[in-house]
Amino acid sequence: MTVFSLIIINKAGGLVYQREFQPGLRKLSTNDYLVLAGTFHGVHAITRSITPKIPLSTTTTTTSQSHHQHQPSTSSILTTHKSTPSVSTATATTPSTPTGPSTSSSTSTTHALPIPGTPVTGLEVLESDKFRLTCFQTLTGTKFLLFTDPLMTTVEPVIRKIYELYADFVMKNPFYQLEMPVRCEAFDRHLGGWLRGRV
Amino acid sequence: MVVYSFYIFDRHAECIYKKRWLPRPAVIGKSRANSELPAPTNGLPAAIGQSDRTTDDDAKLIFGTVFSLRNMVRKLGGEDDSFVSYCTSQYQLHYYETPTNIKFVMLTDLKSPSMRVALQQIYINLFVEYVVKNPLSPTEHPGGIGVNNELFEESLEQFVVCLPPRL
Repeated sequence: MTVFSLIIINKAGGLVYQREFQPGLRKLSTNDYLVLAGTFHGVHAITRSITPKIPLSTTTTTTSQSHHQHQPSTSSILTTHKSTPSVSTATATTPSTPTGPSTSSSTSTTHALPIPGTPVTGLEVLESDKFRLTCFQTLTGTKFLLFTDPLMTTVEPVIRKIYELYADFVMKNPFYQLEMPVRCEAFDRHLGGWLRGRV
Repeated sequence: MVVYSFYIFDRHAECIYKKRWLPRPAVIGKSRANSELPAPTNGLPAAIGQSDRTTDDDAKLIFGTVFSLRNMVRKLGGEDDSFVSYCTSQYQLHYYETPTNIKFVMLTDLKSPSMRVALQQIYINLFVEYVVKNPLSPTEHPGGIGVNNELFEESLEQFVVCLPPRL
């Protein structure tokens, strides 16, 4: 397993940490990394908003016996709902079938998610020919970007452990200022040591 | 496997073809037989509250996303690296770029396998055959007329419908 590098982006899209573990990706200048962090932050938000929505037709079907004294009430109900096409179908079908029940439905479309149970997230895994980028967003909006070998399959435990180390050595550091670049020697040391131990 | 939409962008960032396949709408409140008062929640509130983006806007957003990610990948992985796909918790986006910078984008659900070969096949077997080799189709698409080709559209439709057994 190969972990190329780690990037931490704060909730405003600023780069707070960048470190390379193994060579494999091209080196960028500090400015390029800042641009990359900002771009990724934006793209992440867009990928969430372009989630396909599946139209969900809420059909409310009103079935009523089509006696002639009932018909004005039905049509008045329908006109209050401003569904003119169904009114026309109701009036069109009622004379032809005088004894059968006339069904008139008013349809309104709302949208459902492709996978209804799970919350919508932005980009989680990006794949290219040479690397795989896994993005883990914490509840507070901090994003951990881990660049790994495309063949490496289990990235999730690695990123969880990195989050744990971040919580322990960065967030619990009394001298760390929130949203500012991470300069914690203990974090660097433990991160490097832990990732080396896994190889 | 579900394909949600498919886009082609030319080298001038113009969307020259877009197609959406929306799955059969799921019906919830099925029938309300002999109810005196129909539920007053249908129609208006949802229609007003929904600020629907048009497909044009979606195409622009998708192009922006794909373009930024492609540049990011090239910067990190080198010029010969190429962006293949990304996935979120809800959907997957597949990307294929031809040497002439025509970009093919497909949005599918999470269960689908890598669509890279499929996009390549769409390019080679459908786009080149029916659009590029068509003497009447324009090489550039200013003003967003796009690929307006019945043969291409029909065969694409057929291709996407036949996808699951093939892959």
